[in-house]
Amino acid sequence: MMKIHGWKLLLLVAVTLLVACGGSDQDDGEARDNTQEVLDFYAANPELFTFATPADIPADLVWEDGMDLPEIGSPEAKKGGTFFQPIEDFPPTLRFVGPDSNFSSRSWISGFYKMTWALPHPDGGGYIPGIAQSWAISPDTKTVYIKINPNARWTDDEPITADDQMFALFFYLSEYIQAPFYNNHYGNEYTNITKYDDHTFSMTVTNAKPDMAEFVLFLNPVPQHFYKELGTDFPERYQWRYEPHAGPYFIDDRNIDMGVRIVLERKRDWWAKDNKYWRYLFNPDRINLTVIRDASNRYEAFRAGNVDIMTIATAEMWYDNLPETDRDVANGYIHKTTFYNDGPRSNWGLWMNSSRPLLDNVEIRQGIQYAANWDLVISNYFRGDMDRLNGQNQGYPDFTHPTLTARPFDIPKALEHFANAGFVNRGPDGILVNEQGQRLAFTLTSNYDRFSDVFTILKQEAIKAGLDLRIEILDGAAGFRKLQEKQHDIYFVSFSPVLSMYPDYWQYFHSDNAYDDAFLDDGSVNPDRKLKPQTNNVQVVADFELDQWIEEYDRSEDKERMIELSHMIQQRHYEYASFSPGFVETSYRTAYWRWVRWPEGFNYRYTTYPYELFVHWIDTDMKTETLQARAAGRAFEPHIKVYDQFRKP
Amino acid sequence: MGIKFNPQTIKKLRRFREIKRGYYSFIILATFLLLSLFGELLINNRALIVSYEGSLYFPTYSAFHPGTDFGLDYPYETNYRQLQQLWRDTGSQNWVLMPIIPYSAFENDASSGIFRPEAPNLEKEHYLGTDTTSRDILARLFYGTRIALVFAIGFMLAVYLIGVAVGCAMGYIGGTFDILSQRVIEIWSNIPFLYMVIIVFSVIPDAFTIFTRILILLSVMVLFSWTSMTYYMRTETYKEKSRDYVSAARVLGASNTRIVFRHILPNVLSTLVTFMPFTIVAAISAITALDFLGFGLPPPTPSLGELLKQGTSTLRTAPWIVMSAFGTLVILLTLVTFVGEAIRESFDPKKFTVYK
Repeated sequence: MMKIHGWKLLLLVAVTLLVACGGSDQDDGEARDNTQEVLDFYAANPELFTFATPADIPADLVWEDGMDLPEIGSPEAKKGGTFFQPIEDFPPTLRFVGPDSNFSSRSWISGFYKMTWALPHPDGGGYIPGIAQSWAISPDTKTVYIKINPNARWTDDEPITADDQMFALFFYLSEYIQAPFYNNHYGNEYTNITKYDDHTFSMTVTNAKPDMAEFVLFLNPVPQHFYKELGTDFPERYQWRYEPHAGPYFIDDRNIDMGVRIVLERKRDWWAKDNKYWRYLFNPDRINLTVIRDASNRYEAFRAGNVDIMTIATAEMWYDNLPETDRDVANGYIHKTTFYNDGPRSNWGLWMNSSRPLLDNVEIRQGIQYAANWDLVISNYFRGDMDRLNGQNQGYPDFTHPTLTARPFDIPKALEHFANAGFVNRGPDGILVNEQGQRLAFTLTSNYDRFSDVFTILKQEAIKAGLDLRIEILDGAAGFRKLQEKQHDIYFVSFSPVLSMYPDYWQYFHSDNAYDDAFLDDGSVNPDRKLKPQTNNVQVVADFELDQWIEEYDRSEDKERMIELSHMIQQRHYEYASFSPGFVETSYRTAYWRWVRWPEGFNYRYTTYPYELFVHWIDTDMKTETLQARAAGRAFEPHIKVYDQFRKP
Repeated sequence: MGIKFNPQTIKKLRRFREIKRGYYSFIILATFLLLSLFGELLINNRALIVSYEGSLYFPTYSAFHPGTDFGLDYPYETNYRQLQQLWRDTGSQNWVLMPIIPYSAFENDASSGIFRPEAPNLEKEHYLGTDTTSRDILARLFYGTRIALVFAIGFMLAVYLIGVAVGCAMGYIGGTFDILSQRVIEIWSNIPFLYMVIIVFSVIPDAFTIFTRILILLSVMVLFSWTSMTYYMRTETYKEKSRDYVSAARVLGASNTRIVFRHILPNVLSTLVTFMPFTIVAAISAITALDFLGFGLPPPTPSLGELLKQGTSTLRTAPWIVMSAFGTLVILLTLVTFVGEAIRESFDPKKFTVYK
């Protein structure tokens, strides 16, 4: 037996005390309650947070409930089954905001299920209710009134109330969350929130934009009871805690297998399960998200039946790996569909960091545009199935510049621009060199492993114009971090567009998102400015005049003027040449096992992914039947379809 | 090296030559290595000789020639295969002599215009077919193997240099130094090498050239691999140190340097040599594994690992990719292993026992 001497015991106690005292005073691991802090903040900002009574609601409001649009999904949909979906990377956090929260599998963790007050009907035509029961818009007072569905519950069964929206404003304005974008956005766009009773509130926006209703309707409330411990240690404290939301799926701690798998479970008693628009959606009982990092392994997992749906990005995959003659396809076990969609387009292209040496020269950027042979990539690699993208913001009726087109691959023009920047002579390897002996070489970074062939084609073609692109492929999280910290030269990526009436320029082009204090008061460049990380202005566009236009565009309430400004902004961005538009997909291709069922017409007009609305369902009987038939060699009718009801000529 | 082989060593070398399998493997590898040093003359899209308007050009090792140098209308690197075809078709006086395999490891050459793997085609001189972006597989294999081999040899030399130096010092100096070094090495060798390579390589600035990156990768790998060599060296040195001839040399007044380099090293050489081929095998496997995982050489550097990776994703549609890469790897590793076994056997003091 070991005998503990007195002095050892003393030492032990001392060490324990030291450990207990260590760290910041915030990091005490004890439950905190910030209710009073929040109330104090409300009281300190009375013009922003107002408390009123139901009698204060204007009587002449026109209330809408959006209940006259067509249903979504299929009445044939069956609840049940498990939906197997691979994810490329394990989420670095379960938080929805704060550092590292903008990761690739985020939609699967929360984005697809998190509900807003109301949302656009996926076929267009108006808004349908989410958590709201009805809403009223008052452009004169720039205010949107919302009545909350009294049945609405968080995934942890707490009721959703107007307090949660008030708290949302506090939350997104708070510096605790370390998300300057939200701080800015909420600080600039909203001037007031008024609570009338537990289920009625209104929010006032800064500008009565043509789509001002969306500024409020598309908000997510934030569960106040969950963020009682909000403080400076928010990123660590909430790193692995799943925020309750209004949607149908939740993550239980026991369903997290770190680094391997996350399983979401459907709430059987979800409050909206009988709602007109929601009853046929979100059908699988469980969503199994398993990390499969490698694209070819994801494909093999699909072929083995361990993954239900596979969106097919490359022509090689579609035509060579999974041809119509393939046994599984020809026998009808695997179905293939092409669905033409509509709406703002994903902007695949080269995002150049104009704060880097050489890339800060507009001639170099223009030269790179002419040296990028996207045409060859589209015709010979994608086999003509894609179109050339013409600008960063394509697919917004009226707001997209009508005549601007992407610069073609043109070696003489590229050489001319490079020569203007001092790159006249070619070195022994054919790469241009300037008088100081600098080579015209940049790193092309991406986290899209599946497009690595595209990069090697671009590289080989760029050499012809004397430009060297060094290819660097990082994994998802590391790559995105590099991009957000603006440590890249050139990055290949696309920012998923938001379905809205007009594009957002502020986050991509405004100097506020490029530098801290980009300009001095007279509009000249601030010599001490520092790069601002964690924003979406990854091209580091900072143009004083452009800032004025964007601010006017964001303030403007006149649609015509906004369109005019939008064209001016796009023209200026085109001249700035920091984005080389790549390709655009006007349809999406899906391969899926026979037991994944879809509504008639397959999907909805404004969808970018087949699974984003969760209109599909897993037919477990059919799964058994298909697997048995496959083992026995029994065939079904092959199913290869093109849905072009939304195709534009 | 000023080391004179003693009769023992010469006997061992003779014995090595008698083991035919290992000896021929060694010849094949040496020939390949020698050939690959002049690989640009065998597999390249730059012509060996161009005769244009009476003057001769040798583009292989020179600066690049833009198309305009040969009367073409483009300012970038001449496509010599097209040039050859053009002059043949027009019956021109000018001529081009291409290497045996007229493709580089980087250019896309799609016969149908669409970039996709194409099966081996003798007529087009794609003897092993093309990869997913229509690059010649033989060219990529050849240059990939060259990089892997040179890398492995560099790795081996560096590991031996450090391992022998440290191990020898430990054995020869002994005492506290020996005990301390042993503990340090034990700690050091417990750092997982693959993770360290991945971590270090992910923070290297990408602005470095590919050659620098390879050098860094090499040094990181060496840094975490030299330890195993020290154990053998230490024991061997200890053993030799206590032999009479070392004492004799010391009595005669020989310096420590002389004793180590003239007396001990030549006698422990046999132990070292037997390990060499296996170190090479390990290095080739490591670099291939790193490339396969995407942590090795940046694309589009040709590499066995990258081809293997491509091969696994096109297993069903283009089996020739994985077959070529896998075949090459198997042959390469088998040859090196044969050499290794032959060396081990020829250095085995029990000559007349069969090694199994």
